[in-house]
Amino acid sequence: MTNLNFVPDAPNGLGHTASSSYLPLSDNPLAARSTSPGITDKQERVLTATNVRKGYSIGGEKRWVLDGVDFHVDAGECVFLSGPSGSGKSTLLSIIGCLLESDEGEIHLAGQRADQLNVAERTKLRRNNIGFVFQRFQLIRGLSAKDNVAVPLSLQGHSLQEARLMATEILARVGLEMHRDQLPTQMSPGQCQRVALARAVVSSPRLLLADEPTAALDRQSGYEVMVLLRELLQATNSATVVVTHDPRISEFADRICEIENGRLR
Amino acid sequence: MLWNIAFRTLFHDRGKLLAGLVGVIFSVVLVNIQGGLFFGLIRKASLLVDESNADIWVGHRGMHNVDFPHDIPERWIHRIRSIEGVQEAQPMRIAFSEISLPNGGHEGTMIVGLKPGTDLGRAYEIQQGPQEALDHVDGVVVDVCDDAKLMDPKIGSVREIGASRAVVSGKCYGVLSFLVTPYVFTTYDRSVEFSGGDPTMTSYFLVRTEPGVDAQIVCDEISRRLDDVSAMTSEEFADMSINYWLTRTGLGLSFGAATALGLLVGLVMVAQTLYAMVLDRISEFATLKALGSKEAEILLLLGAQSSLVAIVGIVIGIALSVLIRFLFSTPRAEIMFSQGLYAGSAVIVFVICLAASGLPYLRVRKVDPHSILQG
Repeated sequence: MTNLNFVPDAPNGLGHTASSSYLPLSDNPLAARSTSPGITDKQERVLTATNVRKGYSIGGEKRWVLDGVDFHVDAGECVFLSGPSGSGKSTLLSIIGCLLESDEGEIHLAGQRADQLNVAERTKLRRNNIGFVFQRFQLIRGLSAKDNVAVPLSLQGHSLQEARLMATEILARVGLEMHRDQLPTQMSPGQCQRVALARAVVSSPRLLLADEPTAALDRQSGYEVMVLLRELLQATNSATVVVTHDPRISEFADRICEIENGRLR
Repeated sequence: MLWNIAFRTLFHDRGKLLAGLVGVIFSVVLVNIQGGLFFGLIRKASLLVDESNADIWVGHRGMHNVDFPHDIPERWIHRIRSIEGVQEAQPMRIAFSEISLPNGGHEGTMIVGLKPGTDLGRAYEIQQGPQEALDHVDGVVVDVCDDAKLMDPKIGSVREIGASRAVVSGKCYGVLSFLVTPYVFTTYDRSVEFSGGDPTMTSYFLVRTEPGVDAQIVCDEISRRLDDVSAMTSEEFADMSINYWLTRTGLGLSFGAATALGLLVGLVMVAQTLYAMVLDRISEFATLKALGSKEAEILLLLGAQSSLVAIVGIVIGIALSVLIRFLFSTPRAEIMFSQGLYAGSAVIVFVICLAASGLPYLRVRKVDPHSILQG
């Protein structure tokens, strides 16, 4: 039913029970993997951003938030974008997520030249290729966990029944099977972020973008969410970009890109 | 799924939903009650025609309102009776007069004189007294609903109309004039006494056609034979009588304005409610956009929510209107509903609710999905 290629017996796969995700940092197999320098196999390049510039006019003077950024991410790779506030992290995330247009530069996403698309075409590209995890979860309050996760599938044209089945399946994988009919207001922040994670990956996006996914969570919940994120990414092989300030989760990155004053260091 | 999102988010915020529903219900009730009162009132303008059992009304050329006849020679009835297709034709006399009251005062009345032995022109059903009440010497039939004006006449009460003795021999229910003057039904001959005037003249000829005969053809033939009369079907004359009051009094305009005001209030309330709901969930719309919702889908979602509010509100509103009618409708202030009124109010309110979703859509349209990454 689902596009996710789950491997129940894989050591880091989604076949883990929920309790295995709550292992202490030193005991969790993902922790060891996350310290590796990055993926070594030749992977498909999902996103390439070349010489991206974005600026705003303030008092008639152009101020560049992004100033000639080159960036790429491959399938299965998890890249962290870090940097101080106002450095341009979120702007870059918006541009590569096709939420915002760049002033200059090229964006190639999933084999398409994204920067030359009109609004409708960008929406379609986003719907079919990108999953989002937001800092504040951004779940729809009136919908149950299951229906929240089903939203991207429905937007892609799946029937409600089919989307709910797939959503139920992935909620079980993230340990929320018993909470599938609960509203966001009835769940803890950690549970909400896991629902948001499930929503982001349920359609197996080529690119997953996470904006400060642990910022609204306590240390333990944040850690669990990142473990879960890595597990899900292994199953989906999505290219992932995580914007974060949180140094405690840097071990989950395959590569960390520092951005400062609109430039990658 | 859009319906699912629309439905669940709408019913999740029950307080705002209730406010929206109140707006729709208010509009539906107002349109139905205003419309019902209007139709109930305007029906009186043609009541004599509607309930006359006649197919054709013949009056003076240029007749425009059943309550304002102009005399025509009664002898012309023979020429009408000779026309092929006419089964029966009877004269009817309508004239103003005054009836005495027990306190020594007088009340203006409209005397309706009917030929005995026929149901042509007999717009009433006897509720009190003998069925053939007009067979009584000096007998008249008045309406129960005019009791207050006529100072509670009982069966057998003796009054004076136009200096002649009259006995209330029967009472009917709900046959009220559009004017303030009560109808007093009596025999044709007595009506001449009650109202004075030339006994050789009459007000109308009421015609019943033979079964299967086209009334319009008979009308044309009557008009051809009698230059100085207008002949029209009962439906035409009823419409003409109604239009007389509508166009000459501004009645339609005042009722229409009140109804439009109600619709406007409903529109504002629904639009405000939807707008408030959207403002409250603006980040959710931004999320939907970020996840790949198209503008058309967002519009559809808002339209679906408006439709849901409209449908629920219309159903409750119509039910409430029926209840109000049951509790408060009287012949004097009749609330007259019809399938057309129900359908019309439902369609108008539904369209208005859909239009109301345009206001929140304008706000949602401005939402930049990029905004949810800006904290």
